[in-house]
Formats: sequence, C-alpha cells, structure tokens
Amino acid sequence: MKILVCIKQVPDMESRFKLNSEGTWYDENDLAFRMNEYDEYAVEQAVQLKEQLGGEPEITILSIGPNRVVEAIKKALAMGGDRGVHIQDDKYYQKDPWQIAQAIAAYAGTQNYDLIFTGMQSQDRGSAQVGVTIAEELGFACATTLVGFAYDSGTITVKRELEGGSKGVAKLKLPALVTCQLGLNTPRYPTLPNIMKAKKKEILALPMADLLKETELTATEKMYPPAKRGGGIVIEGELASQLDRLVGILKDKTTVLRAA
Amino acid sequence: MEATREIYWNVGHGVVLPMYLITLIALAACGYGFWQRIGVYRQGRELNRLDNLGERVVLMAQNLFGQLKVLRVTVPGIAHASFFWGFTVLFIGTLLVMAQADFTQPLFDLVILKGTFYKFYSLVLDLAGLAALIMLLGLALRRFLVRPQGLKTTRDDYLMHALLIAIILTGFLAEGIRIAATELRQNPELARLSPVGLLVANLFASLDGQSLREMHRLWWWGHFLLVMGFIAVIPWSKFRHLFTTPANYLFTDLREKGAIATINLEEEGVEQFGADKVTDLSWKDIYDADACTSCKRCQDRCPAWNTEKPLSPMNVVQQIGEVAFGKPQANLVETVGQDVLWSCTTCRACQEVCPADIEHVNKIIEMRRNLVLMQGEFPGEEVMAAVDNVEVNGNPFGMAYASRGDWSQGLQVQQLCDGAEVDILYFVGCYASFDKRNQEVARSFLKICKAAGVRVGILGKEEKCCGEPLRKLGNEYLYQMTAQENIELIKGYQVKKIVTTCPHCLNTLGRDYRDLGLDIDVEHYTVFIDRLMKGGSLRIEAQQFDYTYHDSCYLGRYKDVIQEPRDLMGAAGGRISEMERSGYESFCCGAGGGRILAEEKLGSRINVKRVKMAEATGAPLLVSNCPFCLTMFEDGIKTGDCEGKLQVRDLAEVVAERLEPPLVRCLNNLESNARREV
Repeated sequence: MKILVCIKQVPDMESRFKLNSEGTWYDENDLAFRMNEYDEYAVEQAVQLKEQLGGEPEITILSIGPNRVVEAIKKALAMGGDRGVHIQDDKYYQKDPWQIAQAIAAYAGTQNYDLIFTGMQSQDRGSAQVGVTIAEELGFACATTLVGFAYDSGTITVKRELEGGSKGVAKLKLPALVTCQLGLNTPRYPTLPNIMKAKKKEILALPMADLLKETELTATEKMYPPAKRGGGIVIEGELASQLDRLVGILKDKTTVLRAA
Repeated sequence: MEATREIYWNVGHGVVLPMYLITLIALAACGYGFWQRIGVYRQGRELNRLDNLGERVVLMAQNLFGQLKVLRVTVPGIAHASFFWGFTVLFIGTLLVMAQADFTQPLFDLVILKGTFYKFYSLVLDLAGLAALIMLLGLALRRFLVRPQGLKTTRDDYLMHALLIAIILTGFLAEGIRIAATELRQNPELARLSPVGLLVANLFASLDGQSLREMHRLWWWGHFLLVMGFIAVIPWSKFRHLFTTPANYLFTDLREKGAIATINLEEEGVEQFGADKVTDLSWKDIYDADACTSCKRCQDRCPAWNTEKPLSPMNVVQQIGEVAFGKPQANLVETVGQDVLWSCTTCRACQEVCPADIEHVNKIIEMRRNLVLMQGEFPGEEVMAAVDNVEVNGNPFGMAYASRGDWSQGLQVQQLCDGAEVDILYFVGCYASFDKRNQEVARSFLKICKAAGVRVGILGKEEKCCGEPLRKLGNEYLYQMTAQENIELIKGYQVKKIVTTCPHCLNTLGRDYRDLGLDIDVEHYTVFIDRLMKGGSLRIEAQQFDYTYHDSCYLGRYKDVIQEPRDLMGAAGGRISEMERSGYESFCCGAGGGRILAEEKLGSRINVKRVKMAEATGAPLLVSNCPFCLTMFEDGIKTGDCEGKLQVRDLAEVVAERLEPPLVRCLNNLESNARREV
C-alpha cells in the first residue's frame, strides 16, 4: 500500500502577524512556524495504519513552500513517514487552493497512491479545498472532517464530524482521500531514535514550475485585520447586581435568552 | 605489680589454631558474599569513581570516622555515631590483643598491653562496650517500640540487634568472669578500671575457681563464635552497610552539585537513551541500593511523599537493587512506575540528607529520559503541549517569541543585538519575560541595577528558554537543541558576566551549559546585589518588616546560597522568622523537575503545604527568590486560603522598594567622603 500525507507548515497562531508589502498575505519576519495542526492528525493516522498493517505501507510526506517547510517534513518523517517530497515554492501564498491541489495531483497521479491523508484545512488560509480538489482531480473517493478511522481489507470506514455535533459514518473503497479533524487521534511525540533516523530519510525536491499547469481561479485582492470593535466588559460589584447586569446584557445584545 | 593480663588466660594457646581457622572461614564467607554482589553491580555501565583517589579517601575518612552525615539527624544520629565509635574502639582493642599475642610477643617478646597503657586500655574498652550497648538498646527501643512512621523493619533488623547485643553481652560476661577469677581479689585496683566488668565479676564472686574457669571458657567461645557469625553474615544482611556505605563515600560524585551526564547526541549508532533496564544504569546506581540502610531520611523530606504521592526516593533506590539482584532483564521503568517517576521535583532534599551518599535524582532523570526519548511519554498532555511550545516559540507558554522582550519597553535596559556596551547580561528567563507577576521581579532587578550604576543588557526576542524543565523531564534532545541556540547567541556577543533572576536558569547556564561549550561566570541576582551592597555601590535604606524566607531548592541546596539573601533582607530591615524547614532542609514549592509545566493530579498540593508552613511562622510576608516558587506560592496562597494572612514577594521587589533616594545617596556619599578626608 502506498500512502501520501499532504502537510503544510503554518505560523504559530500566537505569533504577532503583520501584513507583507503586497498587502495580500502575512510578513514572515518574526513568525515561528510549525506543522498545521490538522495535518498532524493526518500524519498520525497514516502512521497508525502503517503499524496496523505490520509496517508494510510506504508513507510519503509532501509539502509545498519555501525551504523552511523541510523542518515540518522532517518532523512528519520522525513521526513515522518514510520519504519526503518538497515542492519548492517561495511564492506559495500567491497560489490559490485550486493551483495547490492541481500541483499535488500532478505529482500524486504518477505515484499510484492507494490512500491520501490531508488536514481538514490549514490554520492560516483555512480554505478546506485542497484535499477535496485533489480527490476530484485523481478520481478518488473522498471523505472530509474525520474524527474516526478504521481500515479493513481494502475498505475504510470513517466517522465524520457534521454540523451541530452529529456524526456520520461512511465506507470508502480505496483509492481514497480523507481530510482529518481534531479528535481523530493524539499525534505522537517523535522518539529520539526516530528523529535521528528521519535526518537520513530521502526528501525529494521538485520545483513548483514542473508541476503547476493551471492559472489561478481566485486571486487574493487584499488582506487586512478585522476592524477593532469594543473591548470586553468587566462586570464588578455585588454578586446579585452583577447577575442582573449580565442578564440585562444577554437580553439586549444577544438572542440566547429569547424563547424559540 | 605491673598492670597487665594474660592473653588466652584459661583458654590457653591451644585455641590459636582453631581460632584462626574459624576466622579464615568467616572471612572467606564474607568475601565470597561480596564477590557475588560485585558481579551484580558489574551489570551496570562503566563509570569511573576512583579518580582523584586522595580526595576521595579523605572524604571517606571524614564521613566514616566523623559520622558527619549520620549526625545530621540529631537523636538517632548521636546513637548511631556513639555506637559506631564504641564498636570501633572495641575492634581496635581486639586488634591490639591479636597483634600482641600472636605477633609482637612470640616474635619480638614485645608486650604492649601493660602498665599505664593497659590501665587506660582497660577503662576505655570497658566504657566503649558500655556506650555501644546503651546506644544499641536505645536504637532498638526506637525501632521496635517507638516505631517511627515509615521506618521499615525487616528480618535483618532483628538479626542485627540480636547479634550485636549478644556479642557485647557475651564480651562483658567473659570479661567479668575473668576479672572475678584473676583480679577481684588479686588486683582490685586494676579491676576498678573495668567498671562494667567489675559489676559482672561481683555477680559471680561467690563461685569457686573451677566453676569460674568453666563458665569463662563457655562465654569466651560464645563471644568468639558470635563475632565470627557476624563477620560471615555481613554481605548477606543489612550489616553489609558496614562496608558498602563507607565505600559509597569513596565513590561519591565529585562533580559540581546537580551535574547530569550530557548525552552525546552526535554519537553514531546509539539507539538506546535513558534507562529502561538496570543494565542501562551505571554500576554505581545498582551499588547505591546496597549502600542504602533504609533510614528513610530521604522519604521524610521528599515533597512528593509528604503530599501523598507515590514517590519514595528510598523505594526507587531499593527497587533498582531488587531488579538488579532478582530479574535484571525486567523493565525498570514499569517496575518503578511512571507516576512515581513523574512525581519527582528534583528538589534534591533526598540526596542532600542521605547519610550513605546515594544519588537519587539522576536515576529518576535517567528513567524519565527513557520515557521521553524512547517512548514519547510525558506526565500529561499539558506537558507535551508546553514542550512543543518551547520547540516552536522558545517558551513553554506558547507566546510569540518575538514578544519576549516586550516587558522591557521603556525601561533602562539595552538589547545586545543593538550592539550595546554593558556590564552584565541579564538572562531573563521565560517567567520574568512573559508572566505578569514575574515581570515585576525583572523590573525590580533593573531598578536595583540602575541604582548601583550597573549597565544591563538583555537578549530580548533572541533569548530562548534555558531548557531546564525540558532536561529535568528527560527531554535531553530538545534541551540540547535549545541550549545550543542560546550558547551560540551568547558567544556571539562580548558577554563578561551573566546574571539571572531564576535559579533554574542559573544552574543550567552556569553548570549544564559548560558541557555544551559555554564557560562564562553566571550568578544569581541575590549574590550579585549582595556583593554590590557589601561593596558599597548599592545602598539600601532599612525599613523594618517581618518576614519568613523560602530557600528555593535550586539556589539553596544546589548552589549553597543560603546566607546572602538573608543578609540582603537584614540590610533592608527584615526581621526573619525561620520556617522549620529552611536552608538545606528547605521544602520544595513543587515546581522543580519540570513539574511547573504539569498539573498536580496526585495527592495534595505541595505549594499549599509549603505556604502553610510559612503561615505558621506568623510572619505576614513570605520572601522567595525564584519565579517558579513565586508562581507556586501566589497560587498556594489563594488555594490554601491564606489570602489576607500571607503575602509572597520576590526578594528583588523588597530591595527595590528600599533603595536610598538619590538625594540621600548623594548626601551620604558627601558625608563619607568628608569623613575620609578628615
């Protein structure tokens, strides 16, 4: 079995964001980067499947971006990936989800993968389109927002998180692509021997230009922080009067106390 | 008549041969027992603990003959030490008899035991026996009747007390009957110099010579055979500590206190990190179990044990021994248990007090290393998240690394990256950088430096966590990665001296970083400003206040800084009410060993326990010197219901409030200058 896990390296969300000079993305200075949270669940699930199948599947870790993304690939390799693919692109942020998906599909289409894991969405752009578009391009079965995953002889059974807290269960035949959500698993902490081994694993570097055939469908016009709204209110005083004020605010400004 | 006595009186020289034969057998049994045990120690990894042998021998002699470590706990300490000295005197006395009877007299016709020396000898040995007996009875009373909480009594303890009491009693009986037969009437002057012997002699005074002789032979042989039995049984019972404990003084860790082995991560082919089996530990770690006497002094002081957590340092040490002797291939980490290992705050109270020089803390760290580096295990998800935060943002809070220096905006402090010329580098640490409460401490420290005319520089956003909690949790890899970045950075600037407000940073930068190539003078701010004050460049205006002081583990026990903070507080007008557990006996706040990052889910809260101890002094103010302690105590005062009764402040805050105003300082300077001119 051949497994592909697509990961993205994103800024830590606690970072202090500034716009870049083009005004269409953030400035990378002073940012700390890490693996996209949802992609960690994807890597973990792939590694768990590999363990379940006695180590037979080969896991490829793929990421698009500048040289810094190699760190994220290495971490995924330390978690249990076998080989890496780095699609080099310093201007990754100028590509729309369609182009990213098309480039990945162009690579994946030549590799005969049986199963592709991606995160549900990226923490920075949050389009949630790349995974499903890759599946469409490759003609794979697809399920999104996984919170449960089981594999048995060529079929996967997945539990999906739906609106309003309900869950859905789906069965998919391979080849398939799934996108992973919080709650699917707890990503492991790489052990030191695996970190050491990961340093020696192959990471194939491919220029973006070799894979990208499509032009963008949606261009980013402008990016800006949300307009500052009023700050929070600290209610002080006696407990009873605090409660009265709180109820008053909830009645006036929200719908939570209105009868259905 | 010259004072002396006939050696082998009554038993005759014919006993010499069987006596030496039996002695040889006893010694052989003893030697064989130890030989077997040495084989077990050797399962551990190699470690050289015989370098600087001269220094080691001196340390051993001091600790053995002075009983220095044993005496740290007064009552049982005095009992053990007196017994030891008494028994040692008896042993030397016996050796003298042997030397004379079997060597000097037959070979050179030289008699040592005669005249005034013999009188002295008689008296001293008799009294030594008495002292040993009384102390032994006292210890037996304590163990079997008083039964101090936590003191384990096993088969060995019964054996030891019974055998030793029997040896001393039979000795006195043989002595007394000999006196009854040979001195009581013939030389009463001499008999008086053996008070206990005389007492026994009087009991038998009415018996005739023949009966006395028969009884003497009986007790003489009884005494001799008991002693031989004692020698033979040494390696097979807790008596082994007679050899293993003093030898452990010889094998002591001569490195700076708190030193941990730095793993060479560059070494090719190493796939095993930390201790998973006893064979992953050093021979000394196995040996320590044999040096342990189950005195439970470590357990009495352990903050985890005292708050109903599963860790007893004594048990950990003994479990390693049990595994090494019983089933050396067993999984050590499982045997000891994860909850036990994660409960340790690395406060070092166990190691500091141990009368056998056992090294508890590093064993626990070695096993934690296995958990983290080989299994990716942490004490909880919150800890894994904090560790991940250090990896990404260089601090456990997950705050943006770029905001690390924000606290210093508008203050008189330079950023080294701006090429500033400074006197000291203030390594701020994560807590003073990001935690609001501890930022007050950082500001106070800067204020003090300003008053003393010290130019301070910081690393700002370039600084990262020193890595201490990571290392103590067992994450040696991330510790070294983080440390290397700090070291490269510091080396790149012209830094002459580093001052920290955090004792954990102090220990790490000043000691642990040396293994990774940083060799710069690092000082804690209490020592630094104490020197400024004593040197006259910092003037503190005394304003009276009452306080109690918490010695943080990593400043007190680890760095021996006990007096300087008290001197500073005294100069600031403080009147101290010491807690019972202070100085080297201080009780941890609960945050060491990486526990600052972990939730305390087992037992009761360590910080509350410590806050209650502070409250019990009646002082309204608790002064600490460590950001972890300050954080724990702020929390402990709230959760322990001490709000309004007790306040916690860092020493820097107290000093910063009492800096002499510039005008007063100026006048004082003029005055002292004028005095100098006169």
